[in-house]
Amino acid sequence: MMTIAKTRLGVALALVLAAGTAFAANDYVKIAFTSDPGTADSQLTTDWYAIPLNIYDRLVEAQTTKPGVSELVPGLAEKWTPSADGLTYTFNLRKGVKFSNGETFKADDVLFTFDRMLNPATKALNTDFLDMIAGASDRMAGKADSVSGIKVVDDYTIKITLAKPFAPFIANLATPAGSIYNRKATLAAGDQFGIDPKKTVGTGAFTLESWVVNDNIQLKANPSYFRGKPTLGGIDIKISPDANTQRMQFENGELDVLDLDNATSQIPYFLGDAKWKSQIASGPRVGIYYYALNESIKPLDNVNIRKALQMAIDRKTILDKLYNGRGALENGIFPKGLLGNNPKLPVIPYDPKKAKDMIAKAGFPDGFDMEIAQVTDSPSTLKINEAVQAMLAEVGVRVKITQMDSASYFATRKEGKLPAYESSWSADYNDPDNFIYTFFSEKNTVARSYNYGNKDVFAKLESTRTMTDQAKRMSIYQALEKTIVQDDAAWIPLFSLEHLFVLQPRVKNFKVSWNGWSDMPYFGITLTK
Amino acid sequence: MGRYIIKKLLISIPVMFGIMLTTFFLLNVIPGDPIALMMKDHISVDVVARVRAQMHLDDPVFIRFFRFLGGALHGDFGISYKLNRPVSYLLATAFPNTLALALSAALVSWIIGIPAGILSAVKRYSLVDNFFMGFSVLGVSMPVFWTGLLFQYIFSLKLHLLPVAGFKGPLYLIMPAIVLGWSSAGTIARLTRSSLLEVMRNDYIRTARAKGLREIAVVVRHALKNSMLPVVTVMALQVSGLLSGAVITESVFGIPGVGRIAVNAIQNRDMPLLQGSVVLTTFLVIIGNLTADIVYSWLDPRIRYGNPEGKK
Repeated sequence: MMTIAKTRLGVALALVLAAGTAFAANDYVKIAFTSDPGTADSQLTTDWYAIPLNIYDRLVEAQTTKPGVSELVPGLAEKWTPSADGLTYTFNLRKGVKFSNGETFKADDVLFTFDRMLNPATKALNTDFLDMIAGASDRMAGKADSVSGIKVVDDYTIKITLAKPFAPFIANLATPAGSIYNRKATLAAGDQFGIDPKKTVGTGAFTLESWVVNDNIQLKANPSYFRGKPTLGGIDIKISPDANTQRMQFENGELDVLDLDNATSQIPYFLGDAKWKSQIASGPRVGIYYYALNESIKPLDNVNIRKALQMAIDRKTILDKLYNGRGALENGIFPKGLLGNNPKLPVIPYDPKKAKDMIAKAGFPDGFDMEIAQVTDSPSTLKINEAVQAMLAEVGVRVKITQMDSASYFATRKEGKLPAYESSWSADYNDPDNFIYTFFSEKNTVARSYNYGNKDVFAKLESTRTMTDQAKRMSIYQALEKTIVQDDAAWIPLFSLEHLFVLQPRVKNFKVSWNGWSDMPYFGITLTK
Repeated sequence: MGRYIIKKLLISIPVMFGIMLTTFFLLNVIPGDPIALMMKDHISVDVVARVRAQMHLDDPVFIRFFRFLGGALHGDFGISYKLNRPVSYLLATAFPNTLALALSAALVSWIIGIPAGILSAVKRYSLVDNFFMGFSVLGVSMPVFWTGLLFQYIFSLKLHLLPVAGFKGPLYLIMPAIVLGWSSAGTIARLTRSSLLEVMRNDYIRTARAKGLREIAVVVRHALKNSMLPVVTVMALQVSGLLSGAVITESVFGIPGVGRIAVNAIQNRDMPLLQGSVVLTTFLVIIGNLTADIVYSWLDPRIRYGNPEGKK
């Protein structure tokens, strides 16, 4: 009797164990997010791109060719032709592409998708990627029922006319915000598009299979993908907010890929661990770490003070000690790998003595008080800020670090009232406009709490983005970069970093994406058995 | 008793309204903009202004509150800003997970806490007493995130017995339930011990002993029931507290529960989701208190609500 009871107990336990472990098929690559993206609709999110990159395609794709380098390749458009004045782009679309609901991809889907982004009813957050199209402003303001600048020529040809020439337009369309939806499926899905897996339809290498909020999202390989069936069976995304937990899930085989952006505190461990250090995949990230200086706060309105601050920070030590030297110092705005990067920019020296003299000459012989703000839940930012606090103390600058919750931080920054802060920016598309215009244009400088005020720079930034002569455009951008960083000292460039992942040995063909996103397409990655 | 319950439930309506009102206004006083937060580094002042207007976030606070209240009375708490799903759906999906965690953790804490308290009281100042009290203090003293990591390290990484995190079956519940249960077992154990010791000093216990009853019968049949009154109160409140969400445990073990939803809602200034979470939590606390009152009266015949003389 006892034996039978024991056997039953054993069987029950085995069943429970089996139930606990056999969920995602073994050909699914297992990755982790720190929080739930909330939507797979790339028009409604500005930072959760992993799902859109894998379930939709874009007219043009930015493909990583080698570490830190990308090129624009045909996506749903086979080719595109700009007009001589740079205003009109004609896209010849790929034939025979099917959406996952069986519908054939046509020019009307492009018209629908771009119009949906600009339609005020969508409440889209990514309109900046399309607002240069002629008629976009009227559509967004509710003054027009359609976007006048988008015309379907035939089923496989579409013409897009811009309000003004915009040189990075094609690169801009290669971002996740340019993902193409199917008119019929998206309209039928209504507000469930991007939410309900069955109603979220794209042409991508994977389809949305299941979504349990705050727990798990699964993508399944699309067997009729136009580039060929993915070798992976799918992608299993676990929502795991804790860095230590992610590390242990990885070590326990519950994750195949650990993005060390999600667990920066674990980088030294993996770099030093005999088992894992050879399993680290890294690539230069086209992005830059920097300190923003709010010129509306005294004495940061004084250019000599800002220059002194640039010289008072030992960037090399921060890079070596806090990031294990896995990166490169930057002296401008355009980091390595970005179009327009200027390796000949003068190096900003670390010279605390000179910095102290400059501060004294600027009228502060006893130094001054300064505030640096940061969000509460970022220990890695706190480490940099504490290092900088100590370095600035050497030149007489007394730094107070203020920690705020994210909602307050971003709301204060939007008002232009955030004190100095450390942050990073990485490329959405490979063009200097994505960096310089984002921070130093008249439109954006207040919203990022720089309050930079060089009118000449503002005017040139507006005129340069409409230029079609690429070489001339790059040379103007490089001159502006020098003015902003070296002459006006509007920010303190720190460094660009490598993007590190740790992989289980079974993960093959893993390519670190050229851009700054942690999110990447998983098409082409394979798993050995 | 029926009248008492109805009265308590009726009182809870203004309590619920007051809490909703307070939360709504507090959220509007503290700085923070949900749309700016959603856009983060991709901020565009024009887009923020447009989307805020479309979502009626710039309407006067009273209008927004009564709009929310109108929906809430029909069970519609709106759509979460961040998760883009109806709040009622999100809470209904998360609650069973929290319920499973809370009940299993409570069970663990009772299974450990009550016997530990009894043994400690019966064997006062002995090695057993010191062991159980030390064990309880350890559970209370160690932060849950630390115990959680320790358990994950031992039982997942080293012994490969349990999964590190996730929530896909009973197996995934074992570690979080023990970690969370252990953390509250100490309170139950200490309370059981002190309450039992107090009861054991009463005359009727001495009488029971004088009648020649065995010590186990004295403790179990005569002392335990009376000593459980304060313990039951704490147990009921503990369950309602656990049901409101054990945020840290849910985060460390990746459990998609109510606690994580509430904390994310605060961080994201996701007002509809936060309001829904607050209503749910308030309701659970009210139910928890009511349950404690009912169990209390069942355990102690002297207490009969609405019948102060204890007449039958």
